[in-house]
Amino acid sequence: MNDSKNVKDIVRNFINNSINIDALGDDEDLFETGLINSLFAVQLMTFVERKFGVEIGGDDLHIDNFKSVSATAAFVVRKSSGQVA
Amino acid sequence: MNMDIFLTAEQIKRHAEFQDFAASNVEPFAYKWDRAQQIPDSAVSQLGAAGYLGANIPCEFGGRGWDVVTFGLLHEALGRSDSAFTGILTVQSMISAALLKWGTAEQRGKWLGPLAKGEIIGAFALTEPGTGSDLQSMATEFRRNDRTGGLVLNGEKKWISNGQKAGVFLVFGMLDRQPLACLVPRESDGFEIEPIDNMLGFRAAGLARLRFHEVPIPATNIVGKPGFALSHIAPIGLQYGRISTACSALGLLRACFEESTRYAASRKVSGQNLGDIGMIQSLIANMGTNLEAAKLLCWNACRAEDDHLPETFTTSMIAKYFASRAAVQAASDAVQIHGASGCHESSPVARFYRGAKITEIIEGTTQVHEFILGKTFVHNAIGDQRRQRPNPGV
Ligand SMILES: Cc1cc2nc3c(=O)[nH]c(=O)nc-3n(C[C@H](O)[C@H](O)[C@H](O)COP(=O)(O)OP(=O)(O)OC[C@H]3O[C@@H](n4cnc5c(N)ncnc54)[C@H](O)[C@@H]3O)c2cc1C
Repeated sequence: MNDSKNVKDIVRNFINNSINIDALGDDEDLFETGLINSLFAVQLMTFVERKFGVEIGGDDLHIDNFKSVSATAAFVVRKSSGQVA
Repeated sequence: MNMDIFLTAEQIKRHAEFQDFAASNVEPFAYKWDRAQQIPDSAVSQLGAAGYLGANIPCEFGGRGWDVVTFGLLHEALGRSDSAFTGILTVQSMISAALLKWGTAEQRGKWLGPLAKGEIIGAFALTEPGTGSDLQSMATEFRRNDRTGGLVLNGEKKWISNGQKAGVFLVFGMLDRQPLACLVPRESDGFEIEPIDNMLGFRAAGLARLRFHEVPIPATNIVGKPGFALSHIAPIGLQYGRISTACSALGLLRACFEESTRYAASRKVSGQNLGDIGMIQSLIANMGTNLEAAKLLCWNACRAEDDHLPETFTTSMIAKYFASRAAVQAASDAVQIHGASGCHESSPVARFYRGAKITEIIEGTTQVHEFILGKTFVHNAIGDQRRQRPNPGV
């Protein structure tokens, strides 16, 4: 199972590197920053799948699952504990 | 190049099989199909029987479940003979990949088996008469039908490969200004298909214009969720489209190289072989070097997809960008080397010349690749400066 603090650190690190800012708040809406490119969504998805061994499917497509560092980390924790997203 | 270093024994064996298939079932007919602007159903059935239409579909759904490198080798081998024919596989893999990733259990159960066996051909409908690269401006519209609980589709799509033969279309449009993708069976009410002939290249790829007039779409045909069609659904299909197109362009590049070297070795000019002339050697050197470089980029892209790396989307763009441009250059030089005989429609290099250009347009144009890759490279450099470490490139 993925520990939530650890997951958040890993997700934050990936997102900060992807959008090149350090000061992004964990709850800041990624899609409203205007900093992400057209491939970011699938890159984040692929990273999460590979790093945490979860598989994202059609039922998981909710903006609330990926809109921020906190949201993505919480999604990973829920998903890897077998809870429905 | 000795490909053994980069490929497994199994992959090398399969590549040889794919090349044999192309030499017997594709190459001898490519000229005829190009002239007729059509690939006969029997040839498509052969693709299905060989399992090639299900190359990227897992065995549990009746596909071959091959790794992406093997998928790339298949597209290279067929691209060597006929890029229009390979286009059928490209689109089949795009719709299959999108369904595999985002389809409901019911959609996967219903469509993947027939797609894998070639019992049904798929099409991927993004482009419209008014917009291609700028997909956010799509005018095709879905509307909710409160009475049925489903949707109603209106609009037009254009330049859709396989459109003439496809039994099912993955159609992208807007629902309440949110991008949405839906499966639309060919026999749907209000769905009209008009063949498009006389393309520059890919003449046999069965392009069509699609018109939707109040087409009823059951809610069970929605793939993914509203709002995710351009950020998540299309990119998974386009990822396979780019890998396929890159590898097909690689095959075309190999074709140009093989035809050019063979011709240069036998054609006499002023008492010497064409290939002894420095300027011709220069063209061939460039072609052969690009061929080796494209090979490495293509296998790298395939492997990144096999390893499910986040950078897989960038590596496939790099491979597609390089291989398609190199193919255009090689085809132009191949015609030059062949002189007038390369300018007649019966010459394979004339067909390669027309086909190569198409690879620079489909699955994102060269300029769109430059825009995204250029931005990505600069972005990476900024990140590297921030972290104060040397720039590793991609
Ligand atoms: C043989 C063939 C098969 C095809 N099959 C399919 C299919 O199966 N499904 C499908 O949906 N579509 C298909 N297409 C359409 C193809 O995807 C589009 O042609 C392509 O996306 C480009 O769109 P466009 O033609 O509208 O050109 P436009 O987007 O109008 O572009 C025109 C020119 O402007 C450049 N340009 C556009 N935007 C930018 C930018 N931001 N910066 C710099 N330059 C820019 C382009 O590179 C191009 O040179 C096919 C096309 C062909 C030729």
